[in-house]
Amino acid sequence: MYSKLIKNDMQKSKLITATVTAFILVAAMLASLAAALIVNLFGAIDNMLLQSKTPHFMQMHTGDIDMDRIQHFADAHSSVEAFQALEFLNIDGAEIVIGGNSLAWSVQDNGFSTQSGEFDFLLDINGDIIRPSDGEIYIPIYYMREGAAKLGDVVTIRGTPFTVAGFSRDSMMNAGLVGSKRFLVSENDYEKIRSFGIMEYLIEFRFVDDYPVSAFESDYLEANLPANGPPAINYALIRMMNAITDGIMIAVLMLIGLLVVAVTFLCIRFTLLAKIEEDYREIGVLKAIGLSVSHIKKLYMVKYGAIAGIACVLGFMASLLIQGPFMENIRLYMGESNRFLTGLLLGMTGAAAIFLIIMLYVNGILRRFRKNSAAQAIRFGAPQEKSKSAKSFQLSRNRLFSSNIHLGIMDVLSRKKLYVTMLMVLVISSFIINVPQNIYNTISDKSFMTYLGIGECDMRIDTNQTQTEQFMQKTAEIAGMLARDEQVSSYTVLICKMFETMAGDGTTRRLRVELGDHSAFPITYSKGREPRTDTEIALSVLYADDLGRDVGDTVILSVDGEDKRLTVSGIYSDVTNGGRTSKAVFETNQTDILWSSIPVAFYDSSHTDAKVSQYREMFPLAKVSSVEEHIRQMFGSTIAAVQIASYASIVVTVVLTVLITLLFMKMLLTKDRYPISILKSLGFTNAGITAQYETRSVMVLFLGVIIGTVLANTLGELAGVAMISSFGASTFNFVVNPLFAYLFSPFLIAVCVYTATLLGVSDIRKINVSKYIKEV
Amino acid sequence: MENIITGKNIVKTFGKGDEKVGALNGVDVEISKGEFVAVMGPSGSGKSTLLFALSGMEAITTGSVMINNTDLSALSDSELADIRRTKMGFVFQQPTMLKNLNLLDNIILPALQGGKKNVGVIAKKAKALMKNTGIDGLENRDTAEVSGGQLQRAGICRALINSPEILFADEPTGALNSKTADEIMGLLSDINKDRTAILLVTHDVKVAARADRVLFTKDGAIVSELPLNKSNGKDIEVRAKKIIAQMAVVGI
Repeated sequence: MYSKLIKNDMQKSKLITATVTAFILVAAMLASLAAALIVNLFGAIDNMLLQSKTPHFMQMHTGDIDMDRIQHFADAHSSVEAFQALEFLNIDGAEIVIGGNSLAWSVQDNGFSTQSGEFDFLLDINGDIIRPSDGEIYIPIYYMREGAAKLGDVVTIRGTPFTVAGFSRDSMMNAGLVGSKRFLVSENDYEKIRSFGIMEYLIEFRFVDDYPVSAFESDYLEANLPANGPPAINYALIRMMNAITDGIMIAVLMLIGLLVVAVTFLCIRFTLLAKIEEDYREIGVLKAIGLSVSHIKKLYMVKYGAIAGIACVLGFMASLLIQGPFMENIRLYMGESNRFLTGLLLGMTGAAAIFLIIMLYVNGILRRFRKNSAAQAIRFGAPQEKSKSAKSFQLSRNRLFSSNIHLGIMDVLSRKKLYVTMLMVLVISSFIINVPQNIYNTISDKSFMTYLGIGECDMRIDTNQTQTEQFMQKTAEIAGMLARDEQVSSYTVLICKMFETMAGDGTTRRLRVELGDHSAFPITYSKGREPRTDTEIALSVLYADDLGRDVGDTVILSVDGEDKRLTVSGIYSDVTNGGRTSKAVFETNQTDILWSSIPVAFYDSSHTDAKVSQYREMFPLAKVSSVEEHIRQMFGSTIAAVQIASYASIVVTVVLTVLITLLFMKMLLTKDRYPISILKSLGFTNAGITAQYETRSVMVLFLGVIIGTVLANTLGELAGVAMISSFGASTFNFVVNPLFAYLFSPFLIAVCVYTATLLGVSDIRKINVSKYIKEV
Repeated sequence: MENIITGKNIVKTFGKGDEKVGALNGVDVEISKGEFVAVMGPSGSGKSTLLFALSGMEAITTGSVMINNTDLSALSDSELADIRRTKMGFVFQQPTMLKNLNLLDNIILPALQGGKKNVGVIAKKAKALMKNTGIDGLENRDTAEVSGGQLQRAGICRALINSPEILFADEPTGALNSKTADEIMGLLSDINKDRTAILLVTHDVKVAARADRVLFTKDGAIVSELPLNKSNGKDIEVRAKKIIAQMAVVGI
């Protein structure tokens, strides 16, 4: 009996059934896709970390190392299973020529290595440990993705030729966000090029068990072991770095999924309530002949159960079909996940969760059956909507609009509850179209770098001791050159040095401090401001957490042998140097400086590229980069992913708006058959009545788009926080493209709503007066 | 006298193929300007269909309907709507009012269509009509706040707002008690005296007795007609008896 009921009902309302099915399907598909991707992403990462035996702790160091001291330290820690110091031969990008093009454009620190003996293996695309033969070179996957290298290319380093034999998966340095890349060659070849670069060491440890890394790190620093380089990284950090790019994509999918579920709810609510109203009399009859409320509810539940069940199964299957392209990046960088079955199971769970949520929601709506009195239902039909005339808005006092427009506006005012559904859909639509676009604008905007701890400038020149021993002299030379350059509007020299300090828990910490004028190229501070006097210091969020300091607190640094009291003037987010940096302006001696960086601004930013090449030629040993290029290389793939998501959201918005408006208008017309036939009998033309519906639609559209746009550009920031904070920025403001947000997106939604309205109300002409006029 | 409505050989069928049902099977009807015609007949005899067909609200299958000298079948939807608005008024059994408008707004509604109108003048006319029908003072009431009789009077006001040449009334007293029905019929008679033609469908002989002429329908055809000219006197009871006698002859 049920199947017959359902079949009849679906045939009568094809559009509604199709729309509800489609929404549930998409929601289930996204849920199941996101679940499967999460499982497979972490599966693949863990698999890779397992196969390459990734170190649990790694510190980079430039300069000599005393292996005996490290051995001694390792012996004292029973948890250390193994340790090693791998060589990382820094070679300037300009000297690495792949297929005729140098890597001078790359902001990465490029280094050469041989395959490790014990752990931290570099893997090939199949997940096997690479054993390069003489004359072969394995290039980081990153460069393959960037299109810089392909199989069989010839790579030359100062005239020494290599052939690209494959690409390497580097569990530690895979991600574009990680600033170093390892090239793998055979041991013989390595010896040949050893003199071409500056040696850096990767001091790596593996533990037998889950040893607390932070305790180990502070022990390591306290023991004064080699740590002249970026801060140490650990297993958890490596895992996260590998997950970020695809993680953001999954987060976007989940966000869209959530919004689709919200719209599905609205859609079900609207159609189900209309259906109940239509069936009211029959429900009363069913009650009168002795069916219980739960029995009647079951009729509806079975129908929606069937729709939701079919849609969720289809959605799950669809997620299997489209998983491929989403998994491509994961497969390439991380390899296969061995959790295929778990992924399948969790995907199914995701779809099942959507099914459950929807059934719970339908059940909630159906609760109102209890209030339906059998006698009332049979005698009077559905209870009339409360629709009072709007006292202050009377036709007889209207001088402003034509009567059709007036009637349209009045209907919206007197049946607010009905139009709220439509309004909410439009608000959500504005949200969906604007938020991803705003996120994209924000992270692709030049000023975004100021949230990441980089001042807004056109060009950066970095020098450090791995490039040339007398790099401070070089820095002075460069500064002199910039001072004479007439196209340079401003520049400043920042130097970086390590100082010791006491953390809140009494342990000694080495603090990386960037010294110089921090007001020249200001960054955005999440709290406070930049340091201005030589007794002030600004801390990155991570340092502030490590040290347990807030704005106004005191930090004591050991500077040139003396304790120096500094007040924390501000806290900022930073993605450079593992997020652990600080900024101050005091003077110190020029020894042990880690690196210098010179941000430069030009009067005309369009000259940046030419200037970058010019300075690269003049100072081949310094790293000269365009900041825009720098951002592109670091975040390029993520920005591109968000851009695709923002395009997809435009399509989603169009489909959503058109479908829901169409549905809404059709339902409204069914509801309004009687008043429409009254109007017709009074001599209202079809065009006139259509104008009333257009007015209603336009009014709701107007409100919805205004509210939605305002919310998306303000409240939407909160939705963006989670995503953008994964870049390392804790506070930020949306960059809104006014042309898009205030012109294009409202216009697009308006066109969709208007077209769908016209389409939806085209049946007005078919409404037969004589048929409905007697129905009350 | 000149006709306001001339219907010739009107056929109206519903449905298709085997399920085809004839509602009107070749009806000829003429209504003169200012004439008051009542239509009587059993349920399903086609009287309401006739009313909708003559007013152009229901497209007819074959035949022709002329309003003044205009053939309705030659008109577009919007031209039909124009004629309905300017030449015709409608009163239905159930007061067909828009619930989200107050009484005054409901009444002026048809007058606001078709180009720029002076709302002030229209509202004044509506108030005059409301006074004539005895519902002055109820202008700002919601439709749910007045009685059925008051609502029906408002419906008559609305029907008259554009000064129509003919008023179509489909069982206007069907939902009212007999006292109120009498008052409503008194109103309609007064309107008719002002030279507005009326076509009225009813089951009630006392209502039909006010007409100049009564048409009897049966199985989709006009089977008889009874002129109730002045010789029958003004006594409603006498005229009603004549109608009952005629109904017995026709067999309805």
